Amino acid sequence: MRPIRVLIAILGLDQHEVGAIAVARALRDAGMEVIYLGRFNLPAHIAQAALEEGVDVIGLSCHSWEYLHMLDPLFEALRAVRQDVPVVVGGSVVTPNDARAIAERGVAAAFGPTAESSEIVETIRRLARER
Amino acid sequence: MTQRFTQSRIPTKPVYGPDDLAGWDAAEQLGEPGAFPFTRGVRAHPQDGGGWIQRELSGEGDAVRSNAQFKYLLSKGQTGLDIIGDTPTMGLLDPDHPFAEHAVGTQGVSICCLDDYRELYRDLPLDRITLSHSLSPAFAVAGLYCVARERGFDPRGLRGSVVQAPFYCEDTGYSVHMPFLLRQRMAVDSIAFCCEAMPKFHAFLEDTYYISDGGLDSVEEMALGFVEIRGIARALLARGVAIDSFAPRIAILLNCRMDFFEEIAKIRATRRLFARMMRDEFGARDPRSLAVNIAAHTSGLSLTAQQPANNIIRGATQALALALAGAQAIEVSTFDEAFRIPSSEAHLVGLRTQQLVQLESGVTRVADPLAGSYFVESLTDEMERRIWEMVQHIEQLGEPVRLCETGWFRELFRNAMERHAQELADGTLQKIGVNAHKLSEEEDVLLRDVAEEKIEPCRERIDWLRSFRASRDAARVKTSLHALHTTAKDPDANLMPAIVAATEQGATMGEMAGVLRLAYGVPADPFGMLEDPI
Repeated sequence: MRPIRVLIAILGLDQHEVGAIAVARALRDAGMEVIYLGRFNLPAHIAQAALEEGVDVIGLSCHSWEYLHMLDPLFEALRAVRQDVPVVVGGSVVTPNDARAIAERGVAAAFGPTAESSEIVETIRRLARER
Repeated sequence: MTQRFTQSRIPTKPVYGPDDLAGWDAAEQLGEPGAFPFTRGVRAHPQDGGGWIQRELSGEGDAVRSNAQFKYLLSKGQTGLDIIGDTPTMGLLDPDHPFAEHAVGTQGVSICCLDDYRELYRDLPLDRITLSHSLSPAFAVAGLYCVARERGFDPRGLRGSVVQAPFYCEDTGYSVHMPFLLRQRMAVDSIAFCCEAMPKFHAFLEDTYYISDGGLDSVEEMALGFVEIRGIARALLARGVAIDSFAPRIAILLNCRMDFFEEIAKIRATRRLFARMMRDEFGARDPRSLAVNIAAHTSGLSLTAQQPANNIIRGATQALALALAGAQAIEVSTFDEAFRIPSSEAHLVGLRTQQLVQLESGVTRVADPLAGSYFVESLTDEMERRIWEMVQHIEQLGEPVRLCETGWFRELFRNAMERHAQELADGTLQKIGVNAHKLSEEEDVLLRDVAEEKIEPCRERIDWLRSFRASRDAARVKTSLHALHTTAKDPDANLMPAIVAATEQGATMGEMAGVLRLAYGVPADPFGMLEDPI
C-alpha cells in the first residue's frame, strides 16, 4: 500500500512555522510522505501543488486569522484544478467556534491547540483512506 | 538519583556549596555593578534608582488606532513604547500587495509611508519617552527621523531602539525576502547613520527574542546573537565606523522563558561575555562600549492557549527573573498571546505585572541580589562557557552568509522546533494545561472569551493607499527612487540619506524595498505579482 501523501502549508503572511514543522515531523514518523510548502502560499499555490504532487490530504497550519478569509478561494482553486482533496486546519487560533464554522464551509477536520499529534495523524490517515 | 537538567540541558546538582566556587575570583568574574565586566549590571545603583523601561509590545490596525493604543498604555504608567508592524509591514510589503489583503493591521500596525509615521507619533512627547521599534530598521529610522524634524524635536536627543535581525530573518520569523548582503547593508547603514544623526538611539538592538521563540534554547539563542553582533560589528569596522562610535549603541533584546535561574544566569553571562569580547577582541576603550543594555521580551512560546489565566503567572515569574537579572527594559507577553495580539485588558495586566514586581516585591532595592549564590554563579559561568563555545564553533564553520546560503541556520531552527514539540509531547518540558493538570474544554472557560474576538483586516488602508499614491508628485517620487537605486549600487555609500529623501517625497516602504532588491539583482516583488517601482 503506497504511503499517504500530505501537503502541509501556511497561508498568507503568517510567519509562525513551529506548528507546521511539528505536524510534518509527526506525519513522517507515522510513515506518511509530507510535501512541505512552508510559508507564503496563496490558494492558487496550494491548488497547483496539490495537482502536481497528487496529495491525499491538505493540512493548513494557522497562527493568524488570515486562513478564514482564504478558505473559500482555496476550495474554488481546488475545484478549478479538479483536486477534490480533503482540507484539514490546525493551530492555536482555531477555537471550538471557529472549528464548527469552518466545518460548515467544507473543512474536513479542525484542530485547536489541545489536539494531540496522534489525533491529527489518525484523522489524516482516516481521511486519506476514505477517498 | 535521576540527573536533572536546565532547559538548555545543562546538568544541575541537587545542591551547590562553597566547593562549587573554589578558586572562583569575584573580582575577576563579577566586578562591581556598573563596572567591568558588568556581570552585576550596567548601572552602579540598584534598579529603583532608575528602574527599567516598562512597556508592552503594541501596534494594531492603522497608525491612528495604534497611536491611541500607545496613549492608553502611557496613561497606565508605561514609560516607553515598542512598536511592532503587521506581517505585511514586517515583510516590507505595502498593504495593497495581493498577499497583504487579509493581514493588514491584524498582527501589528500597518505602516508604509511618511503619513503613517506622522499619525503613529501624533501628540507624543518624542523627547521624553523611549521609542523602540520592532520594525525594519532602515525605514523605521527614516520615518522617526523625518517626523522628529518636522515636529521640532532634535533627532540627536531621541532615545529608543530599533531591532536588527539581518542574519536569520529569512530562516525563521520575519522574512523580508532580500539577499543576505542587502540585509546586512541595511543594518550597517542604519546603525552608521544613527551614530551621527541619532547618537542617543540604540540603532543596534540585537534581536535574539524572535529567533529563539521557535524553540532555540538559551545557549543557542545567545550564541546566534553574538555571531550576529560580531558579524555586524566587523562590517561596521570595515566600513570605517570606529568601535567606540557604534558599540555604545548596541543593546540586546532577548527572550525570557520559564527556567527561572537559567534566564538570570544567561543575562549575567551575556553582559560579561560582551564586555570581555569588546575590550579584548574588538579593542573598545569607552566604558559605554563594554556595557551592553539588556532589554527582554517574555516568551510567547512559553504561553498556552489552554487555561490562559496561567499565562499571567508565567509572565510574573519571568518579570521577576528579569528584575533580578538587572534588565533595562521589560515587555511582558500578554495572557491572550496564543490567540491574538494583545487586548487592552491583557496589555494592562502585563504592565501591572511589571509595576507590581517593581513596587511591591522589594527585589529592586539591591543591585544584583543573587550575586555570590553558589548555584547562580556556577550556572552563569557554565552558560558563558557554552555560549562562547558555540559562537566559536559557528564561526569555524564559515562566514554567516555561507551558513545562511547552505541552510545551516535553517536546519538549526528546524531542529529546535521539532525538539520543542517532542519535549512537550513526551513531557520533558512540563507545561500545565498541555501535558500536566489539564482541564476539559468545558471546564476551561476563565479568560477564554478573548479568544473569540477577532481583529478584522484594515481593508480601508488599501483604498487609502491607492489615493495616497495618486496624490503624490509622481515625478519626484520616481526621481527619489532612482537616486536610491543608484546609491544602492554603490556598496560604499550609506543608503539612509536616500531612504530619508525618498520617504519625504512619499515613496512607500514597499517601493523602496523593491528598488533595493532590484539593485541587488533580485525581483522587486518577491512574489512576482507587482510591476517594478522603477
